[in-house]
Amino acid sequence: MAKLTIDGKEIEVPDGTRLFDACTEARGRPLPHFCYHPDLPVAGVCRLCQVEIEGMPKLAIACNTIVRDGMVVHTMNERVNKANQQVLELHLINHPVDCPICDQAGECGLQDQYMEFGLYDSKVEQSDKGHKAKVKVIGPQVILDQERCVLCSRCVRFCREVTKTGELGIYDRGDRAHVDVAPGVELDNLYSLNTVDLCPVGALTSRDFRFQKRVWMLKSTEGICPGCATGCNIRIDHHGGRIFRLKPRYNPEVNGRWMCDRGRMTYKVVHDEKRLDSPLKKSGGQLAPLQWSELEGELSGMLKPGGVSLVIGSSHLALEELFLLKQLGLQVAGEDQIIGGLAESDQKDGDDLLLSSDRTPNRAGLALVGLEEMKADLLADRIKEARGTILIHGGNPAADPLLAEVLANCQHVVYIGTHVNETAQLAAYALPGASWAEKAGTFVNQDGRLQQFQSAVVCPGSAREDWRVLAEMLVLAGGEESPGNLDTLRKRVSSELFNGQEFDLNTLSALGVVPSGLAEPADPVAGGEG
Amino acid sequence: MSFEGLPKGSCAKKTSFRDSIYFWEIVRGLGVTIGHLVYNIFHTSEMPTLQYPEEKKIYSDRFRGRHRLMKREDGSPRCVACQMCATVCPADCINIDAAEHPDSEIEKFPETFVIDLLRCVYCGLCEEACPCDAIRLDTGIYEIAADSRDKFVVDKEFLLNDREHGSY
Repeated sequence: MAKLTIDGKEIEVPDGTRLFDACTEARGRPLPHFCYHPDLPVAGVCRLCQVEIEGMPKLAIACNTIVRDGMVVHTMNERVNKANQQVLELHLINHPVDCPICDQAGECGLQDQYMEFGLYDSKVEQSDKGHKAKVKVIGPQVILDQERCVLCSRCVRFCREVTKTGELGIYDRGDRAHVDVAPGVELDNLYSLNTVDLCPVGALTSRDFRFQKRVWMLKSTEGICPGCATGCNIRIDHHGGRIFRLKPRYNPEVNGRWMCDRGRMTYKVVHDEKRLDSPLKKSGGQLAPLQWSELEGELSGMLKPGGVSLVIGSSHLALEELFLLKQLGLQVAGEDQIIGGLAESDQKDGDDLLLSSDRTPNRAGLALVGLEEMKADLLADRIKEARGTILIHGGNPAADPLLAEVLANCQHVVYIGTHVNETAQLAAYALPGASWAEKAGTFVNQDGRLQQFQSAVVCPGSAREDWRVLAEMLVLAGGEESPGNLDTLRKRVSSELFNGQEFDLNTLSALGVVPSGLAEPADPVAGGEG
Repeated sequence: MSFEGLPKGSCAKKTSFRDSIYFWEIVRGLGVTIGHLVYNIFHTSEMPTLQYPEEKKIYSDRFRGRHRLMKREDGSPRCVACQMCATVCPADCINIDAAEHPDSEIEKFPETFVIDLLRCVYCGLCEEACPCDAIRLDTGIYEIAADSRDKFVVDKEFLLNDREHGSY
């Protein structure tokens, strides 16, 4: 351990700690910086985190200094502040200051630093500023503006060290230096949008989010990416009932600070044109809308013990919904007649960074509830055997041609889903459920980690949260009383699934929990509460 | 309603028959009216009434009337869709959708620029917030009338070009 004094405050940190991190700990907030990033190798190029270390003749950059016992450091005295201000002024010399049209405005490092300790009058006329390439499309997801760049090299280091693809580089020297891709190369990797998050200024911006919204108008909700079994922690940025972008949320146990581009686009299904926004009934080969209140009478035939001959779930549903679906299945169909869902084929394109080849967010949750998935041919046989109503919740089994064929021969399929897809087209009744961003729930990722997500936007039309639909069906079928709210439902789930353990889904830690003894995590992680 | 706690007789004062028919009060009131009528007949130049709409009141130059959008030299809107006005607007009456401008020097322009004149409180914060001097309330237009609510929701073309009743 090393003892050092930072701004008159004594702290003790482990040997080998970077002075930058020690300063963050002592001050409660980080030093001004552009290039330093905890998940990337140190570059030491922005020169903004300069601090005064007693006994050293010149200021030193904190990010590239390792703490030494007895160090006395000043981070806020006049000399340091003046140095920071001058460095910032150099950064801004050729910056176009086009904040009004820059998507980064509002979450920009230059804006923040200038307001914090800059506040000088610029000595450079707007007309004297140097010019470089603007609006340069460098990949399918990212757009580059070289004028705004401060050459912190975070994006370059990310592509070299994290994705190991090395598309980006810094070319030329002096005031001609600029970030770019080599001729004929595109920034086209699965993690390219992380460079946009990393960019402290507006040099790299997302093509998908370009000009969609000013960032200060967005509200954020904590979510879990539904794109694959990794379960990256995300922030859903939305405004006026519409989602505009997904950003990674820091979780050292799951995704660190990154997420993949494919996951970032999962919000598009929420606002898809083909959303199911009202209950539909098939009459004369066409699906026609009807009211929820009319459904009670329509479905009374199936909502009684023995009324359903097969219940098919999905690994895209939340744990709470799967729990209720099983309860409903036990009430109306019987234990052997509940199937976890169609086992979606492995995509075989997972990588060792984040993307899992298993594209379902809650397959482990299915196992936790005690349901099993089936291959398409086996499931088709079961559907053929079933004589009465088939209840399908979530997923899209009819996307498989084999299942589409057998389902087309079924007279009475009731489907609860989010989109007017192949399964909804074949159903006698299609009930609108909530998509992943419109409901709260729990996903269990491939490591057995239970992670919760919140509802960010409201359901379209008269769609309802799935667990409410299931709970109501359960009541009508003469089963348990409706939980009424999610908290009560979660209490019920906790006591049933985690019986005998001090475990409550209502008080799940923000980083998620791997319950002990319930799932075998592929990579054992400490720190769970369960 | 409860009258408890009030002094006795304070709410029902006894009036005489002469007072209760208000005859003298009506005559006195008419006297004031007729007095003004006679005065105005002999002092027409001092009359405060304007013969609107033939005659109009001249407002100060600083009067904030209906908004207009300014143009560049080539006639395209000066607005770059930065949404500062929409952000600062206390009535939340400005709605802008931005799009990519073919000219990379300009980069961003408003594809739609809609103001709901019924929501607007004419505070002028939008013109103060604008970094491009693209929106102004200096038109002097105050005759904002229509026969349906949706006609008060005005779009970019209207704000750029309509000068009816304008004093600029």
